[in-house]
Amino acid sequence: MPQLLRKTEGQWAISEEPKSLWQSEAEWQSGQALLVAVDSEPSVEWLAASSISVDFPALTDGRGLSLAVLLRTRLNYRGDLVATGNVHEDIAHFLARCGYNVIELPEHKDLNTALQWIAPHTGFYQASVDSPAPVFSRTSG
Amino acid sequence: MYQYSEFDRTFVNQRVAHYRDQTARYLDGKLSDDEFLQLRLRNGLYIQRLAPMLRVAVPYGTLSSKQLHALAAISRDYDRGYGHLSTRQNMQFNWPAVADVPDILQALADVDMHAIQTSGSCIRNVTTDQFAGAAADESIDPRPFCELLRQWSTSHPEFEWLPRKFKIAVTGAKADRAAVGVHDIGMRIYGTAANPASAEIDIYAGGGLGRTPVLGALIRERLPVQHLLTYTEAIMRVYNRYGRRDNKYKARIKILVRALGADGFKAQVDAEWAHIKDSASKVPPEELQRLSQFFQPPLFVEQPDNAAALADLRFANPNFNRWLTHNISAHQAPGYAVVTLSTKSPGVPPGDVSAEQIDAVARWAAQFSYSEIRISHEQNFVLPHVPVSGLFELWQQACAMGLGSHNIGLLSDIICCPGGDYCSLANAKSLPVAEAIQRRFDDYDFQFDLGEIDLNISGCMNACGHHHVGHIGILGVDKKGQEFYQISLGGHAGHSGDAPQLGQIVGPSVARAEVCDVIDKILQVYLHNRFADESFLNCFSRIGMAPFKESIYAAAA
Ligand code: SF4
Repeated sequence: MPQLLRKTEGQWAISEEPKSLWQSEAEWQSGQALLVAVDSEPSVEWLAASSISVDFPALTDGRGLSLAVLLRTRLNYRGDLVATGNVHEDIAHFLARCGYNVIELPEHKDLNTALQWIAPHTGFYQASVDSPAPVFSRTSG
Repeated sequence: MYQYSEFDRTFVNQRVAHYRDQTARYLDGKLSDDEFLQLRLRNGLYIQRLAPMLRVAVPYGTLSSKQLHALAAISRDYDRGYGHLSTRQNMQFNWPAVADVPDILQALADVDMHAIQTSGSCIRNVTTDQFAGAAADESIDPRPFCELLRQWSTSHPEFEWLPRKFKIAVTGAKADRAAVGVHDIGMRIYGTAANPASAEIDIYAGGGLGRTPVLGALIRERLPVQHLLTYTEAIMRVYNRYGRRDNKYKARIKILVRALGADGFKAQVDAEWAHIKDSASKVPPEELQRLSQFFQPPLFVEQPDNAAALADLRFANPNFNRWLTHNISAHQAPGYAVVTLSTKSPGVPPGDVSAEQIDAVARWAAQFSYSEIRISHEQNFVLPHVPVSGLFELWQQACAMGLGSHNIGLLSDIICCPGGDYCSLANAKSLPVAEAIQRRFDDYDFQFDLGEIDLNISGCMNACGHHHVGHIGILGVDKKGQEFYQISLGGHAGHSGDAPQLGQIVGPSVARAEVCDVIDKILQVYLHNRFADESFLNCFSRIGMAPFKESIYAAAA
């Protein structure tokens, strides 16, 4: 059983879910769960996926963050967006802010730590997918 | 100066809490060295050759007296009683213990400071003109825009894990003291203080020193300032997605700009920008007004005309006279001066300052300069608003504390990275070279006769000592395990208002023992060839490399 955090109605919680059958971009067909690489070019066809999972090659690879932002804001993708692969408990909060609503951690990782630090800050300077107003629109006026 | 709001304070405190937990987990064995590395870098902590090094962010080089006193206290409580001014306007501590760092960060947070994003592959502390808000040649104070960028880039969720480090420099003056041409993004702001919301910005991208030195390309002219963040976001997104991640030497944005061509890169940025131009990150005019309020000049009082008294003091004190000649820059307000306090004297590594000196500078700032201090990328302290009537007293006190060197812009005002004595990336030591040069050419009259010469030293290709833009640059290289030094000539960072220029390598590198002789030969060639008061740089561009080459290598050939 993969270990993951899921956000439901604004709340993050540990969730036990059966493993999805991910299909790579080459094999995937509409209606299936799609697994993409961090350097993929997002395409409107992906909107037909039952869910989209992005495979992080390393905790230091930020391409999956930009990809999520494009999926959420440019393609207006509304389904499950899953971060998987080399995902780190201390990076989870960045993933969350860029629009991932499911975060899957490698097996040796502690989900409780990830949950504890899913939102280390109560406010943010800049706009992002999960908090679309930058700080100045809240402080000025 | 910018004043933290409750929001800023809460944010920084929460960051310290998170890092405290990360440190505890690391010391507990729950985070590996590699994992912790990435987390500690983004909180300013390097592990160097001898010990950890903590780099504290000094946003755009501006500090208050209170903050500077706090840095002195940190150097006493957690370090060996000194700190180091870096070439990026920050303050570094060389000996903190890993377990103490959360407490140090808390001590910083208590005076509205932090070490966020001072290392790692993320957007670094934004740098600017050390004379911002005071310089006579300034069109608009760049610091409100730097603060806007600081806030926007702090913990930006999308751009925290870039292919490589990312440096932004901003200037609002005619002379480019921020070296915007050699940064990942360089910004030149045009406008007036009265109406910051109508300012415009020229944006340069892809400049940088390091292994492949290159000047940034102008990719956007006169961008209206409300688009500052959205346009930067577009650049960052293109870089984050397409910058190379397979080879760290090819990962800086300059390589991407070169691969796509400046026009190709600009086209991609513009295409991205078209989508986000009018997003929530478009900066409202009120926000620019609000930030600008923080940087209003102090209420300068009219100063008595003390020209006669000053002339008497100059006459009676030759060193004071020299200090006024070299260490004072023109101020916007009549009766005031911008003072640079030099950290450069033989026997002290450039930029190193003791806790006592740090406290003294903080006191002088309170007494003479509206409690404001700047750090320059030349590794000196600047007191931006000193009344001319206070200069003599300030000079006397500075001399008593070893900060009275009258050498700003002269040969001995060397920019030098920590090099092989501290830095684990170094190919060669840099500090002993700086010291040898300072001792050899200690004679003031000789230095004065030479006039303005920037001599910059880096211990390796990473170019933290900005050797490419030194009039004379020295780069440490490794030749079969031996320390050698490659000398370049004719570089400059655009100080005089001209476009910046990268130095040219003179020839084969030389052993450490020969460096001073080579510098001497270079200086002699200049002295023999110059017309009247022609500067080193002008003389070099007129006579070219050949005479220097000949003099240095003639005997060997
Ligand atoms: S230039 Fe090289 S040796 Fe000097 S501080 Fe930078 S990385 Fe270290």
